[in-house]
Amino acid sequence: MNFEELFRDFWWLIFPIFGMGMAVTGMSQADRRTKTMVDLIKSYTDQGKEPPPELLRLAAQSFEQENPNTPATRQQSNAWSFVVFAALTAGFAVGWWWIRDQDYAFAFLIVAVTMGVLALGSLLILILSRK
Amino acid sequence: MTEELFRDFWWLIFPVFGMVMAIFGMIQNGAREDAILRDARERLERGQ
Repeated sequence: MNFEELFRDFWWLIFPIFGMGMAVTGMSQADRRTKTMVDLIKSYTDQGKEPPPELLRLAAQSFEQENPNTPATRQQSNAWSFVVFAALTAGFAVGWWWIRDQDYAFAFLIVAVTMGVLALGSLLILILSRK
Repeated sequence: MTEELFRDFWWLIFPVFGMVMAIFGMIQNGAREDAILRDARERLERGQ
């Protein structure tokens, strides 16, 4: 099997591998920065000093990203999850329809079904959390 | 062979461009946050 055949068979793996790489990198970097940030704020308060406003802004921003506590933020986040998953479902479903005669069409169908279930779940959470 | 491969997969340029931009954005955002942390640490070490 040469490179071209390998690429033709497994090109779709680019996307999940990229997603996994970004997720792992993003998580490890965010974790490292959060630890540094907490240590710095603690050092400032231990010395009885006010931490710099940009550091506090960064901490607030990172806290908000990790803990969307306000109902409006949570609602917006749920709505966006639904939109993103619905768009991915539509995209992969159309992709599957176009190439449904190919051997690798199943990959598109699997992703479309997975995204569809996630979109449905997001919609349910969005509707049920509206109370 | 190469031309045929390009004809079949030219559209991959767009998602690959998106991926490159995502990596670029992540690096830039990381550099900005690192600069804020570095600055705060330097100020602390200087005793300000």
